[in-house]
Amino acid sequence: MFKFLFKKEQQLESLISQYLENLSRTQEHFVKAMNTWLDEGLCGQFNFLIEQTHKFESKADEIRDEINYLMYSRALIPESREDIMILIEQVEVIPRIFELILHLIRTQKLKIPDIIMLDVKDLIRISVESCELMIKQIDLMLKNRQGIRALVSTIDHNESHCDHIERSLMLKIFESDMELVHKLQLKELIIAMGEVSDQADRVSKRVNILTLKRRV
Amino acid sequence: MFSLLGGVFLGWSLGANDAANCFGSAVSSRMVRFGTAAVLCAVFVLVGALLEGQAGIETLSGLTSIDLEQAVVITVAGGLTVTIMTLFGLPVSTSQAAVGAILGIGFFNQQVNLAGLGKVVACWFGTPIGALLVAVVIYQALALVYNRLQIGLFQADMLLRAALVAAGSYAAYALGANNVANVTAVFVGAGTLTVFMAALIGGLSIALGVLTYSRGVMETVGRKLVRLDPFSALVVVLTEGLTVHFYTLLGVPVSTSQAVIGAVLGIGIIKGARTIKRKTLYGIFTGWFLTPPVACFIAMCIYFAMHLEYVPK
Repeated sequence: MFKFLFKKEQQLESLISQYLENLSRTQEHFVKAMNTWLDEGLCGQFNFLIEQTHKFESKADEIRDEINYLMYSRALIPESREDIMILIEQVEVIPRIFELILHLIRTQKLKIPDIIMLDVKDLIRISVESCELMIKQIDLMLKNRQGIRALVSTIDHNESHCDHIERSLMLKIFESDMELVHKLQLKELIIAMGEVSDQADRVSKRVNILTLKRRV
Repeated sequence: MFSLLGGVFLGWSLGANDAANCFGSAVSSRMVRFGTAAVLCAVFVLVGALLEGQAGIETLSGLTSIDLEQAVVITVAGGLTVTIMTLFGLPVSTSQAAVGAILGIGFFNQQVNLAGLGKVVACWFGTPIGALLVAVVIYQALALVYNRLQIGLFQADMLLRAALVAAGSYAAYALGANNVANVTAVFVGAGTLTVFMAALIGGLSIALGVLTYSRGVMETVGRKLVRLDPFSALVVVLTEGLTVHFYTLLGVPVSTSQAVIGAVLGIGIIKGARTIKRKTLYGIFTGWFLTPPVACFIAMCIYFAMHLEYVPK
């Protein structure tokens, strides 16, 4: 009814939607890059997708700066400003992990042995699903309070599942007859992959706290 | 007209100090621009004074019979008391200072309306206690509604901001309606002004204080006084408006600061937290009990000094 009085808030809402949309696009390109790498190895298409992922990650930084600028020009009440800033700081860790994983693969010219291929695909699939749910959860927090707790529990379940896969992968890697340097390279990669669902879980719990905090 | 300057000064200082009770939390937390808050506050103070200031003006002007000279002494003594208490860092009520000074002159005239005085003093005790109870009820009732709303962060935020501005405007209206009597009622008692002119001049002088000198107080006192979450801040401002408005209908000028303190204590009871430090509470009570006798004493001294005569041997 009085929306014309809150132009900055509407602008901010639209920027956060853009930020989340951009995060989805980053994630989409990351998944495509990982699938290309797993199916075809290091190739031109993989390099192109790394650049695309980087492009969307940089775009996210620009949107975040705009959000911060708008918030400090008196949009939202101070408590909400702080909550959104902390939330975005936590969310932006995820695209950085995507980039880190892709750069690890490119610079170390990594190759996944067949014995762990399925587990790695599972780890990527579940981690990405957690991220999608996390984005949905943030969207719900901004638009409606319902359904947030159910998503927390699914993301938490996914995180435990990813931990389990991560441990199983480590075991398979170190029980294999690969060269030690290769084992250590894969270990670093698997830890970085596992970090995606861990971070999605952290963000999800934060969103839940922010929702509970708003109850009086 | 020159004799009205004391009242205008008192109104100006009241506006500069008490605007923080209406918009302090919104301005200090940068939810509302100072300019917007000051204009809203000034407009609603004036509207409140003109529409509902009459009852308080009649109560204060009926406490004792005074002439123009005594009216000037009362406003100067009230203004001095507010200044002295502020210098000592004690929270001060302009209503108590004005009534204390009127009583000082009343004692000299040996003419005090005890029934009227009883009503005023009872309302002074009733202000913080009433505000505390109102805050508890309003908090519970609003929380019940607010928690059932299926709205997201942005909608909740916009709702709270709009409600805080509306509550601040209402509190400003109640401030003008209630406190205008402190500023110009004595001039009605002295027969210098009509009730309407007293409300207009009083309202304008309070509005002038809000527009010209309330920024610092809003930005600092507002932050010190209400370090609460936005919902509690809304309850405090709404409670203040309702409590002060209630006493306006009874025709008794009360302190908006004391209404705010009562409301903040009420929030503390609900949340099980100490919202005001013990040291601050001692300061509040000291200011509360000292203001009327200090104003009374100053008014008596000024009046006594003005009537000293040199008698040659």
